[in-house]
Amino acid sequence: MKKKLLSALLVSAMATSAFVGCGGAAEETTAETGSTTEESTEATEEASSEDAIANLIAATEGTVNIELWCSETEEYQTVMKERCDAFEAEYPDVDFNITIGAVSEADMKDRVLEDVEAAADVYVFPDDQLEALVKAGALNEVAAQYTYDMNETDTPATVEAGQYDGKQYGYPFTASNGYFLYYDSTQLSEEDVASWEALTAKAEELGKEVGFEVANGWYLYGIFQGAGCTLTENEDQSNNCDWNSETGLAAAESLQSIASSSAFKSYGNDDLLANLNDGKVVAYVSGTWNVNAFSEAYGDGYAATKLPTFQVNGEDKQMASYSGYKYVGVNAYAENTGWSMLLAEYLTNAETQEAVYAATGEGPSNTEALKEASSPALDALAAQSEFAELQRVGSNYWTPAESLGKNILDGKVSQEVLDDAVAGITQPVE
Amino acid sequence: MKKIGKIIGRHVFLAILAFIWLIPVFWLVVTTFSTQKGINTNHFFPAHWTLANYHQLFFEPDSTANFPAWFKNSMIIGVFSCLVSSIFVIMTAYAFSFIEFKGRKKLMSFSLILGMFPGVLSMIAMYFILKMLGLTDSVVGLIILYSGASGLGYLILKGFFDTIPVSLHEAAKLEGASEATIFAKIVVPLSKPMIVYTVINSFLNPWMDFVMVRLMIKSKDASDWTMALGLFNLLQRALVNQYFTYFCCGGLMIAVPISILFIIMQKFYVEGVTGGAVKG
Amino acid sequence: MKKIGNYFKDFFTSIAKGDIWVKLSLLIMGAGYFGRKQIARGILMTLLEVGVIASIFRVFAPYMSKLSTLGTVQREEIFDPLTMQKTVNDFDNSLLILLYGIIGILVIIAFLALYIANIKTVYRLQKMQEEGEHLSTFKEDIASFKNERFHITLLTLPSIGVILINIIPILFMVGIAFTNYDENHQPPTYLFTWVGFKNFVNLFTTSQTITFGYAFVRVLVWTLIWAVLATATTFLGGILLAQFINHEDTKLKGMWRTLFVITIGIPQFVTLLLISKMFGDYGIVNTFCANVGILDFFKNIGLLNAGDAFIPFLSRPGWAHVTIILVNIWVGIPYQMLVATGILMNIPSDQIESAKIDGANKFQIFWKITMPYVMFITGPSLIQSVIANINNFNVIYLLTYNYKTTNMSMANSHATEVDLLITWLFRLTNEYSNFKMASVIGIITFIVCAALSLLTFSRMIGGDKEGVYR
Repeated sequence: MKKKLLSALLVSAMATSAFVGCGGAAEETTAETGSTTEESTEATEEASSEDAIANLIAATEGTVNIELWCSETEEYQTVMKERCDAFEAEYPDVDFNITIGAVSEADMKDRVLEDVEAAADVYVFPDDQLEALVKAGALNEVAAQYTYDMNETDTPATVEAGQYDGKQYGYPFTASNGYFLYYDSTQLSEEDVASWEALTAKAEELGKEVGFEVANGWYLYGIFQGAGCTLTENEDQSNNCDWNSETGLAAAESLQSIASSSAFKSYGNDDLLANLNDGKVVAYVSGTWNVNAFSEAYGDGYAATKLPTFQVNGEDKQMASYSGYKYVGVNAYAENTGWSMLLAEYLTNAETQEAVYAATGEGPSNTEALKEASSPALDALAAQSEFAELQRVGSNYWTPAESLGKNILDGKVSQEVLDDAVAGITQPVE
Repeated sequence: MKKIGKIIGRHVFLAILAFIWLIPVFWLVVTTFSTQKGINTNHFFPAHWTLANYHQLFFEPDSTANFPAWFKNSMIIGVFSCLVSSIFVIMTAYAFSFIEFKGRKKLMSFSLILGMFPGVLSMIAMYFILKMLGLTDSVVGLIILYSGASGLGYLILKGFFDTIPVSLHEAAKLEGASEATIFAKIVVPLSKPMIVYTVINSFLNPWMDFVMVRLMIKSKDASDWTMALGLFNLLQRALVNQYFTYFCCGGLMIAVPISILFIIMQKFYVEGVTGGAVKG
Repeated sequence: MKKIGNYFKDFFTSIAKGDIWVKLSLLIMGAGYFGRKQIARGILMTLLEVGVIASIFRVFAPYMSKLSTLGTVQREEIFDPLTMQKTVNDFDNSLLILLYGIIGILVIIAFLALYIANIKTVYRLQKMQEEGEHLSTFKEDIASFKNERFHITLLTLPSIGVILINIIPILFMVGIAFTNYDENHQPPTYLFTWVGFKNFVNLFTTSQTITFGYAFVRVLVWTLIWAVLATATTFLGGILLAQFINHEDTKLKGMWRTLFVITIGIPQFVTLLLISKMFGDYGIVNTFCANVGILDFFKNIGLLNAGDAFIPFLSRPGWAHVTIILVNIWVGIPYQMLVATGILMNIPSDQIESAKIDGANKFQIFWKITMPYVMFITGPSLIQSVIANINNFNVIYLLTYNYKTTNMSMANSHATEVDLLITWLFRLTNEYSNFKMASVIGIITFIVCAALSLLTFSRMIGGDKEGVYR
């Protein structure tokens, strides 16, 4: 109870100081606009955002506590620490206390939603968690930007993927969270990796392994989408899905025949890494999170490309994919929204993105930083981007899709299985 | 001759059984010496051997793996919740066994039924209760969490107390000893083996829990975690390839004190478990 | 009913017949003690009264008043881009309303009980004074907590712990089962509210989209089979192993026991994860089986399809069930062995000797003498371990967290064939934030356990047994 009282006092104190700051700012702005009526609105905006920061600094008393959660890998922790220190140096008048916590990005949603109020003020999350986070009210809307404008600096796709219901919730951070094909160019030629049929045939010949995780809706989507089926989300968060159509059945059968090859493996991440290290896997669908593992395992032969094609009714279809992005989000319950937003902006600006790329190999979403970045993995992602779709799917998709994938692996594809899967995927949301 | 053959057969059979039982443990041990840091599901023995993993475990804490701090935290939480819950269990068992008071049977039935509610489900509520008390993220909170409801586990110890002759109790009373004195001076010393059993059990619970603690410890600074939480966290997709051997080393290191405890206490333990039910 | 009637009758008689001090106690709870010169007791009681009433009004009342709706004001925030400050309205948090509401009700009930008991006590004091009996001093009161009221001393702290960690959370989760608390209604930002028995109806409904009924029956059946099998196999195995080691011909008994006991020392989340990797589709056991031809053997005898590239130890129903039971034997036997060793050592040897003289063979002795004896002693704890196995989260979760079902109807309700009720509800809360259904499943699990044990336990604490041993 004490806590509640205290926070009430704080809020009222903040409100008072806000009003004081507000009055001053309003005067200043009017004065400025009065003198520079000729100038473009852009300049006014810029001026007012500077004012806003000035107001914020003026209204800030005592230490500003901000907690940041990001990936637990050592590289991430180090680079984020550096950037946070740089942020503190940017505002020498303010006393910051920024703490960085290690949370796996894949689990970010679960950790944040356990208790939104106790979660970090600023956190990094992948785009597939955006919906759940917004639905739980855990993300602060990006109502205004102060140090850069993401619509000008970042690729439109990444900005768009950070929106929900027409509102922007995420600050684009990286644009390389999708998947593509890694392969060993000393053993496979470019023709071999062009289609799944050629790839499995060659791998059988070599006695090696290739594949992707079929029993996982994230990857499975690529086959059905590539074949021309649709999966979309309705406004009430239920799904539209026509995978039980003729095309869908043909796609499922095609995948079933590809997967029946003795060289095709549907490995989870652990098994993939184990077999990769053993030299068994010569080509596999994965993402930048495994870039080190693949480049070490393949050495000089390390290569990456877009996803292979597959045959549906005798026609070559390009396997599609989900494009994946990471965002920096501000908690709607952040202790200090203003400073948290500024930190989120700082952590997503061109400079930080370049630093993150240098440290982790993850591709920037900032167009300028993107120009500097080039690696086999990022090039492969760029090649695949043409066929990559934004992930917009309701939560009822995942379990039935996983189950469908398992059925395909077990060779049990039938119209009935697809019908059941579609019924599950499209089940109404209460 | 037939007899000797039988004896050899018996020992061979035991050896085979023991072998089966120890395979996973053995795999754990050899994996800790592997130079390959990721998980390896294809080979039993590592390709190259090293001791570096142990060095990393003890002397190179980083932002995600901090074994020395985890060990310390787990030890503190383990010891204190073990203390509190042992005391609770002993007190409850004594009250139910020796003191005839109004509503005793009803209270006993009630507490037995309470113990059947799946704990996993009430985690969220426990979290918010601790939050209300301002005890999340604190050692005290975890100790309360692990030992608070321990009174419900009185059944086995009560069974033991039930075998202590009532005459002993009454004789002491005639000599003017209070219930408190009887409890401290007669019953507790008599029940040593059983109490050892209770103590070990209540130590293991916090030592091995990885589900509740994840919700209760909000801090994302690795040095605030417990052993189980920290080790379990290393199995994340992004970490497992670099920390699997670390995980194995850690797992083995937790096992060492517990195993030693078990081996030393074996005698006590065997007596303790059954002492409750068997009348001498 | 009569008891309840008497309870209140006594209360009203006390008020009617009580003197001024008793009547004053209705307002100031300590008054009755002041009147009998028990100052310390009076002060304590009055302080308690003030404390409780203050806490009810200051802490719990705001929440309890909203308990009927679980809150109506949703969170709204206004961000001022110019000052970068955010203002938030005074919103309701359904979760806290429910939790604090429940705690508040408990506090009030406890207070009322104390209040009524207090009136009765002060009336009794009045009568004692009238009859000229000795009224205990404060010192004597304290001393009584070491003697006739020692059970109160002993049970207070454990009870507080149980209420805090057990009872309140249980009541809370029971409450959740009647609300729509799911991923679309998550506090603090969004409100949830009462929906009556809708979730219970859903659990027993089966349609193409709502498959909870379908999944529930299957999960429940497997839970029960698992609980019985897991208990029986480890129990029997433990006794057999213990007997085998205890046999007079076995040398180095301590060493053999130690070898098995070592496995208890390693935390389950380490060993079970290793085992799940070993038995994985591409794990070391599969590699081994393929190399020595077991895979082909299984194909030949028709256990596997010709197209299978691995033995699905933990990835196909049937196979997975068997593997789980086997692994559980591995986990459970050392522990049971320890327990059984102790029991066997205490077996009355005269019975066995006389049976031998009568010409009984080993199996007869085992089934006719050893087992009944062991059953007699451990019978009640067997029921307990069946219940513990119904709630055995670790083994199932750690072995099957990667299990994927091919059964669409199971998948649509987020269940798998190898789930126990407890792992299912864990997944529902942890991954799908579906607290309402998880709570319903939790309540059903609870009812199953309670029903299972009601008979046994009532017999066990019925009192007959306590006497037998003394």
